[in-house]
Amino acid sequence: MPAFRLATAVLACTLPIGAALAESGPVRVDHATVELVSARLAVAPGERFHAGLRIRHDPDWHTYWINPGDSGLATRIDWRLPEGVAAGPIQWPAPHRFDLGGIVNFGYEGDLLLPVPLTVDAGIAPGTRLAVAAKASWLICKDICIPGDAELSVAVDVVAPGDAIPAARPEVAERFIASMAAMPRELAGIEARFADRGDAIDVVIAGLPAGIDPEALEIFPVEAQILASAAAPAARLADGLIGVRTPKNDYFVGLPERFGLVVAHGRGPTREAWTVTAVAGAVPVLPDLATGPVAAPASGAAPAGTGSQGLLLAMLFALAGGVILNLMPCVFPVLALKAMGLMHSAHDRRLARRHGLFYLAGVLASFLALGGLLVALRAGGEALGWGFQLQLPWVVGGLALLMLAMGLSLSGLFEIGGRFMNLGSELAGGEGDRASFFTGVLAVLVASPCTAPFMGPALGFAATQPAAIALAVFGALGLGLALPIVLVSFVPRLARLLPRPGPWMETFKQAMAFPLYLTAVWLLWVLGRQAGVDALAVVLAGATVMAFGLWLVGRSPSPSPASRVGAIAALALAIGSLAWASGREAPQAQSSAMAVTAHEAWTPARHAELRAAGRPVLVNMTAAWCITCLANERVALASERFQADLERHGITYLKGDWTHRDPAITAYLARYGRNGVPLYVVYPRGTGDGEVLPQLLTPDLVSQALARAGSGPAPASPAQTRN
Amino acid sequence: MLRTLALVVAGIAAFALAGTASAAARINEPAPEFTLTDSNGNSHSLSDFRGKTVVLEWTNAECPFVVKHYKPGNMQRQQAEATANGVVWLTINSGAPGKQGHVDGAGANAVIEKTGGKQTAYLIDADGTVGRLYGARTTPHMFVIDGEGVLRYMGAIDSNPSGDPADIAGATQYVEVALAELAAGKPVSTPVTQPYGCSVKY
Repeated sequence: MPAFRLATAVLACTLPIGAALAESGPVRVDHATVELVSARLAVAPGERFHAGLRIRHDPDWHTYWINPGDSGLATRIDWRLPEGVAAGPIQWPAPHRFDLGGIVNFGYEGDLLLPVPLTVDAGIAPGTRLAVAAKASWLICKDICIPGDAELSVAVDVVAPGDAIPAARPEVAERFIASMAAMPRELAGIEARFADRGDAIDVVIAGLPAGIDPEALEIFPVEAQILASAAAPAARLADGLIGVRTPKNDYFVGLPERFGLVVAHGRGPTREAWTVTAVAGAVPVLPDLATGPVAAPASGAAPAGTGSQGLLLAMLFALAGGVILNLMPCVFPVLALKAMGLMHSAHDRRLARRHGLFYLAGVLASFLALGGLLVALRAGGEALGWGFQLQLPWVVGGLALLMLAMGLSLSGLFEIGGRFMNLGSELAGGEGDRASFFTGVLAVLVASPCTAPFMGPALGFAATQPAAIALAVFGALGLGLALPIVLVSFVPRLARLLPRPGPWMETFKQAMAFPLYLTAVWLLWVLGRQAGVDALAVVLAGATVMAFGLWLVGRSPSPSPASRVGAIAALALAIGSLAWASGREAPQAQSSAMAVTAHEAWTPARHAELRAAGRPVLVNMTAAWCITCLANERVALASERFQADLERHGITYLKGDWTHRDPAITAYLARYGRNGVPLYVVYPRGTGDGEVLPQLLTPDLVSQALARAGSGPAPASPAQTRN
Repeated sequence: MLRTLALVVAGIAAFALAGTASAAARINEPAPEFTLTDSNGNSHSLSDFRGKTVVLEWTNAECPFVVKHYKPGNMQRQQAEATANGVVWLTINSGAPGKQGHVDGAGANAVIEKTGGKQTAYLIDADGTVGRLYGARTTPHMFVIDGEGVLRYMGAIDSNPSGDPADIAGATQYVEVALAELAAGKPVSTPVTQPYGCSVKY
């Protein structure tokens, strides 16, 4: 009896080996070897496992993904399954692009495994041998294409639950592991939206893993006839937002509610991929994509090219912008001080030159430091633009206190060692050098909000360039800012044009305190808008304490230790007020402090909505700390005529406030090659492209632009942007 | 990061370029004009056929998908029926010299003879100019242009993208449908489909 049982057992074991004849094994076909493989040699009833079609391509030959692209054909598996076995769909690993003379396909080369999940009915008896069979068909191409098909099969044993399961061939197991590793994954938090842009479709993806490089991204449309197959460059629009514009497929017929994408990152073994579902976005995440067009700003200068010509032009613009900065209201008081210092030293050419150079060094060093900081922060993925330093309340408050302190000094409340800001007669020593240097630093600090005309394109250009070029542009800007003073210090004839020193200088010095007080007021107003009226009050209290401290210092020529301690305590309190203020956030501005004219707040959604409806729109990107912006608004965007023009042409006026950091606005600016405000864009009725207006507005210029926009798409001109 | 921004700008420029580059054939817009020499050395321009419906068929006799439709006679049957109804049928070969399927005039005539082709003319576009002009990317790839020179159909020969001749029977022959609808003065019900086949060997 035991012998019989043993015989049965032996028979049971040997039978499957005999039945192995049912397996087709690898089949050699045109330019490939194909095989049906199973990840498991045996399964238990009710289990799910993977079988797969393995295609080993000859070198340079490829087969196709579920969406084959411009030509080609997806590989198909028609299953011939025994009763009780069901197959799911093919699980497609992330594909690769093949570009043959402009015809772009999606597919695979090398050793490919297309896994398919199979389920075995719970009712199937253990001991059954399943002949899993399929007809596979494919198109294999190099420069020519050959359709192929083959009848394939693989055997899988059904065993009782808990029985030992023999391992699959290591080579096959390895292929399954590799294939699963190449599978696009679902990742919680990935969201994507798309919007129709006429000839193109914009897709914005949020939630991809941090640290991905947009340049290493490949995007594959799962469905045919929506996106063009050719690779479209992806770009990081803001923190964690990737945008890609793809022309429509030549065979585009319509947009579904949603479509699928596979997004792959990197190459080789570290390549990763994710599945993304793009949903039609009435609310596209980024508006700059909504406007579609973008190109060189009106000046045509900056982002045009990365060549040396573009760099030279940008540096020239930066230089000119720097010179103009000298006249800006926020810079002038500082320069007036500097000029006074020069008057003192005008009798000594060597000294004058020395101060000019130290001043230049101060300006350049601070511009390069600011530029470097901007570059570094951007590299870290921060959505920042020029003027970013004034988006921080504590910087604004600090500048206000500094202005106040300088003003108080000019008013005679105190003098630091009698030589504050070059005002003393001792100019030869190191202290004079330092004062010159820090005058330069100060000039840059206060100049940064006044983005002068010509500076916008140059800084926009700088931000799109490698660090070295960006810094060259910032350097040119600094040179421009320093130039007038440096000239005066080097050309004695110019210096002689300055009035001779005399008793009037004391009067002048005291008079110059008032522009500084006004500058402080302006900065405090900005702070109030940023951090609210409570923060403003605290900083004002801090300012008063600071004034008290300075008064203590200035009361006697040699202050007592007690008054020194008092002064330091006062200063600490003032700084403490800044720290407190910077923690506040003003309720997002809906005040009309900045505007007299009815406008709507710019939001990506509102912008997209209006443009989708073909409504003409004026976009004004502004900030409370931007003097040019405020001047433009006062001059050209507040008049009754402006209001009447808006109404007559049915133009909606959208205003974006960049006083606070706002990644959407930063992205919009970048779209126009800009990196700072102001930016004015007028979009015509219908679907035309936006027209970028100059950074200095006149009422006539605005009126004409509004009239053009109201009458429909404007004809192409260098100032236009195209889609 | 800066490179990313540069990319935004570059990408923007690329969009602008793409806009002009793919100004190829668009459905329901005038079909691009062209002039090509046929297998017998005669010159044909699209505008010569104004007033007649014109079918453009991109071909490559060695492409298995073209063979799929020639071997069982599906393509020739459609050519014969169309030309009998006054339709002009132009077969175009955009294969570059040295690439699979490229033919000269004599080679084209040999193909016509072998397959029993019933096209109006077999045009040779060895430098691919017209193929690119129309954005032809597969063989076969079909275009139907109405008597006013407006493109009314572009896409696949039929609705079953496979290499198996057995699939022809159950598939919708899109060109046939389009021609019938145009003849009846009706709009083409399926004006755009995804073409399938071998890539054009430019």
